[in-house]
Amino acid sequence: MAKQYKLENAVLASPTTFFLLVILGFPVILSLVYGFSETSFETLRSPEFSGLNNFHKVTTDDTFWQAVWFSFRFGSITAILECALGLALAVYLAPLTQKNGWIVAVLIIPMIVAPAMMGLMYRLVLNEFAGPIPYYLYNWLGWSPAFLSPQNVFTTVVLAETFQWTPFTFLLFLTAYRSIPQEMREAATVDGTRPWRLFWKLELPLMMPTVFIAAFIRFIDGFRVFDNIYTLVGAGPGGSTTSMSIYIYETFLRRGEIGKSMAAAILLFAAAFILLSFAQRLMRRTFR
Amino acid sequence: MKTTLKFLGVTTLCALMASASHAKVTVLGWPGGPEETALRAAASMYNERADVAEEDKVDLLFTSRDGFFDKLQVDLAAGSTAFDANLLATYSIGKYAPFMEPISLSDEAGAVFGGTVLETMKFDGAQYGVPTDLSLHFLYYRTSLVNALLADDIAKARYTKIALEYLGEALEPKSPEEWTWQDFVANALYFTQSINPDSPTRYGTVIQAKNLLFNMMVFHSWPRSYGADWMDAEGNITVDSEAYRAALSMANLLFKLGATPPDSTSYEYAEANAAYSAGQVAAMVQWNAAAGDLTGAQPDTGTFAPPSGPEGRFTHIHGLGLGLNAAATNKDGAIKFLRWMSTEEAAIAYAVAGGSPGLAAETAAKLSDDRPDLVQSGEYASTYGFVMNGGTSGNALSVYEAQAKEFTGFWAGTQDLDTALGNATEAMTELLK
Repeated sequence: MAKQYKLENAVLASPTTFFLLVILGFPVILSLVYGFSETSFETLRSPEFSGLNNFHKVTTDDTFWQAVWFSFRFGSITAILECALGLALAVYLAPLTQKNGWIVAVLIIPMIVAPAMMGLMYRLVLNEFAGPIPYYLYNWLGWSPAFLSPQNVFTTVVLAETFQWTPFTFLLFLTAYRSIPQEMREAATVDGTRPWRLFWKLELPLMMPTVFIAAFIRFIDGFRVFDNIYTLVGAGPGGSTTSMSIYIYETFLRRGEIGKSMAAAILLFAAAFILLSFAQRLMRRTFR
Repeated sequence: MKTTLKFLGVTTLCALMASASHAKVTVLGWPGGPEETALRAAASMYNERADVAEEDKVDLLFTSRDGFFDKLQVDLAAGSTAFDANLLATYSIGKYAPFMEPISLSDEAGAVFGGTVLETMKFDGAQYGVPTDLSLHFLYYRTSLVNALLADDIAKARYTKIALEYLGEALEPKSPEEWTWQDFVANALYFTQSINPDSPTRYGTVIQAKNLLFNMMVFHSWPRSYGADWMDAEGNITVDSEAYRAALSMANLLFKLGATPPDSTSYEYAEANAAYSAGQVAAMVQWNAAAGDLTGAQPDTGTFAPPSGPEGRFTHIHGLGLGLNAAATNKDGAIKFLRWMSTEEAAIAYAVAGGSPGLAAETAAKLSDDRPDLVQSGEYASTYGFVMNGGTSGNALSVYEAQAKEFTGFWAGTQDLDTALGNATEAMTELLK
């Protein structure tokens, strides 16, 4: 039976396979070619092979490591905050959302906004002279923090990212929380388990695979952050808000160092691949 | 079926006829703002001329301003035929020159624009563009505040005390036309509430210090007035100089003492203007294009060229213009349009419609009723205008980028002055070699 449909399967899958090869394969091959070549906008069509030269340039560039550190810090902190907040909201609001589905719809609104728009919105909202938040703080307290000053900018971008993407973790956790069989809770309650202990010993362990996946997705998303930070503060004074994606963008388009930016992109891809494989293994071992 | 085929046939024919009547010279302009309005007016005037053939009429193309030069770079490098003529800027001519062709302007171009302005569209001695808009910097200040200060002896004494305390010199308030950069700083400190609680403004000035190349253009009139340049005659990078050190340190003092908003390290054009327009800033250096907005928001605004330094008074100038895409499909038509754009007729039409061409005194005088600001900007450009040595090179934009990263880092306190200048020197040596 399976043999009978083998040809049909191959024929039916070929357009999608061809499409994916063209859409994903071509840029990957081009990135690899440029990553190992001396290329500028003038020599796009005639790159000269330069071995590992671009990788050497990238790994000896302080700004690259600054960007790696920024992305790592940003990705880790936002993933932790989003998961903690999302979990708290999902568990705390579960009884309420069970009866009023519209609450979920309202809570996920920030997720619908494009990150670039979110950055522009905060740029306006937090502006000392045009933004409503500093305006009311000055009116009520006679003082307002400089949200985008060098001292506060990291906290501001972390909070902006957290506010936008907590709804994502909230949705995942709410689904996981609802999928826990009610009988298990009832059995534990009959045995005299208190709510806090019920959460720690029963509900949380059952939700852990989802928590792990959510944290991982959010870390990856935070690590490759671009739009909202770039529209809000750009690369930051002294490159202080330069993420990996911003580094690659600026190296490519602003400085025209195509080979170097491709080498950085390849390194980023390799790191993500290794991390993903490691996380998958860890998940299989922990939750099998 | 027959009816459908007929309908499709007629539709296709109409579409073909419509496209045949479309303009054949496509010009990629600077989108949004007065530049777009002015170019539309000029193109419309050109298309109505009897001597312009149907196939040489101009069609305009505008994309988004955001990332415009990056997209243009990619389009030109890819040999795009989507446009025949395109925007170019002084600081990016060297970058685009390999994908463009030099042009010849009309015989009257020299008299219309003057040599300095035409120079902003040259690379390696060849004319790559016809100038359309000229950008330079003005010192904007609130005349009511300055006049009140100059008329009040107690205020003057406090000003001198503040200058002595923070700058080590007993400076006296002066009229902005006489300001040196020392006076600019002293004025900024006096009008800052954290230093002088009686100040009517929260901040004395606003420095747009986002890590952005355009902000370095606004800043570099300051070191230039202390004698700074990017390179000496032998091509050695000279950014690590006393001139740059003096200007960077003075600006840093404004950040440290809170005379510019604390988050101005994330400010660009719009935010700096918002600060001034809100009435919370006493004086600032900003692009000439902001004159309308700032004067509209604060009607007591006065303008002059940026303050002077030991080596004189300077203002950064650069031009926007239109040049010829080497891959143009209608090169002859594009050349004709560009040539016409360099005539007095086109320049006046462009200016009347809201553009800001850098005009020679005689041409600007013809517009003194409609556009008096062009007289002032033309005068400042020819008297105080400068372009750094290397400012039109292929990597000029990258030089500004490198400086923006290092200098804003110094102002934000993430690195010291020696490191910032050392890194800038290293980057510029690589870029301008």
